[in-house]
Amino acid sequence: MKSSLALFSLGLTALIVQGAFARVLPPPWCPDLAWLVVVGIGLRWPSFVSGVVLAVALGYAMDLLSGSLMGQHALLRLVSYLAAALAARQLDLSGGVPVGIFVLVMTIVYGFATMMSLSFFVDASWPGIDVIGAALAHAFVNVLAAGPVLSLVERVLARFADEEVGRRAPMSLGLEARRVGRGGLQ
Amino acid sequence: MGDLLKRLAAPLVVVFLVLLTIVSMVSDRRAREDGGRNLPWWQAALLEITAPVERLVSAPFDAVSEFYDGYVDLIGVRVENRRLERRIAEIEAENLQFREALVASGHLGRVASMRDEVEIPMLPAEVVGLDVAPWFRSVLVDRGTRHGVEPGHPVITHEGVVGVVTATSGHAAKTMLLLDRQSAVDALVQRSRARGVVRGVGRDRLEFEFVVRGADVVEGDDLVTSGLGGIYPKGLRLGRVAELREAGGRLTRIAVIEPAVDLGQLEQVFVMLRRGPQMDLLYRPNLPAEDLDGPAPVSAPPPDQAATEGEEGAG
Repeated sequence: MKSSLALFSLGLTALIVQGAFARVLPPPWCPDLAWLVVVGIGLRWPSFVSGVVLAVALGYAMDLLSGSLMGQHALLRLVSYLAAALAARQLDLSGGVPVGIFVLVMTIVYGFATMMSLSFFVDASWPGIDVIGAALAHAFVNVLAAGPVLSLVERVLARFADEEVGRRAPMSLGLEARRVGRGGLQ
Repeated sequence: MGDLLKRLAAPLVVVFLVLLTIVSMVSDRRAREDGGRNLPWWQAALLEITAPVERLVSAPFDAVSEFYDGYVDLIGVRVENRRLERRIAEIEAENLQFREALVASGHLGRVASMRDEVEIPMLPAEVVGLDVAPWFRSVLVDRGTRHGVEPGHPVITHEGVVGVVTATSGHAAKTMLLLDRQSAVDALVQRSRARGVVRGVGRDRLEFEFVVRGADVVEGDDLVTSGLGGIYPKGLRLGRVAELREAGGRLTRIAVIEPAVDLGQLEQVFVMLRRGPQMDLLYRPNLPAEDLDGPAPVSAPPPDQAATEGEEGAG
């Protein structure tokens, strides 16, 4: 419970700092810190159900401070969390380069999923070809920000999860292979 | 049985949350079609907490940005000042000519009465937050339902249209900018009265889509709101045609529009405290005719006076 609250607080803080960055940086060059927290939770936290709920809660918080449809970021963050959790189980994402590549690909996919979901639910105009440049720029800054954010997530987990990991039974989706220590906490 | 439930717990939670988010999206879409909505209590509470915190955290960033902009602005300010003085003289001369022409054609009285019709009480508001997602364009302003702001109210500056309020809490309102891809405004070319739709495309410029046949649109034309569409009153500035795009064989053409307002540098805006008459007719059809007029039309104070009043109100 402490870990969940700490991670939720970290996600909200990331969202507010992201809002401050948005005042000085053009939109594509502003890193999505709150999304990186969700990815960090997916990659580093073994508690599946809590992770899913946290991802959706942080997504709703994002929806509140964004022009998106309410629930849009929540859904996409849930999918991001699932992708990160699956990747952590199937791939070796312990190093900086694999995590960077994963974040790069996921950011681009996230951007296009956002546009597609918006076009599906609302009569929104389809962006021009230059959106590819914006998506690449956004992916680039997310990769740069991924290291510090994931490190923060790991620190929060190390601070609060020690007492919880020992007594919490692993979830039933085979995610017990992911341990808090894997990929950076050793 | 217990073991089965335990195994199914995680997938069931995922399915439930996916359904919850999809229902939220559909519900929000419907609310927007009805002109926006007041946020439910838990969302409003979160917004009430985050808006001032975001404002506080943004303060150092704003200070740095303002200092840098101030320094850049100082460069060449004398040359710019002379250019503006010349431009003011030109505009004053043009204005005089237009007035003479209006008096001559007898239209001045009609223009004056039209001006009275569109005068709407306005509330000054400050932009306290920008959109945190790069794929959307919205801002958070520090006035909400407690100040009379409602979803569907247009937001403007002295330069032109900014956007429309889409969601409100007690002390904050989310405003969708013209630049957002969900934004579409019925517009007129001021010179030729050609009609079309101004759409946001998620970038710093807008697109004006108009029917080619009979339309007279050239670079440099000013676009204003047509008053149709139910949100914006007629005659608010939207932007200027920067470029015309050829689209061979199509019935419509696209003009790239430079927005009248620098939407990347928004600080102070005005919320028009009345939705367009069409909105009231569409969404409040059971009210008697006198209620459809909304608040009694009050002359909009000049920006300086309005700002002073707003500060007093905020205090």
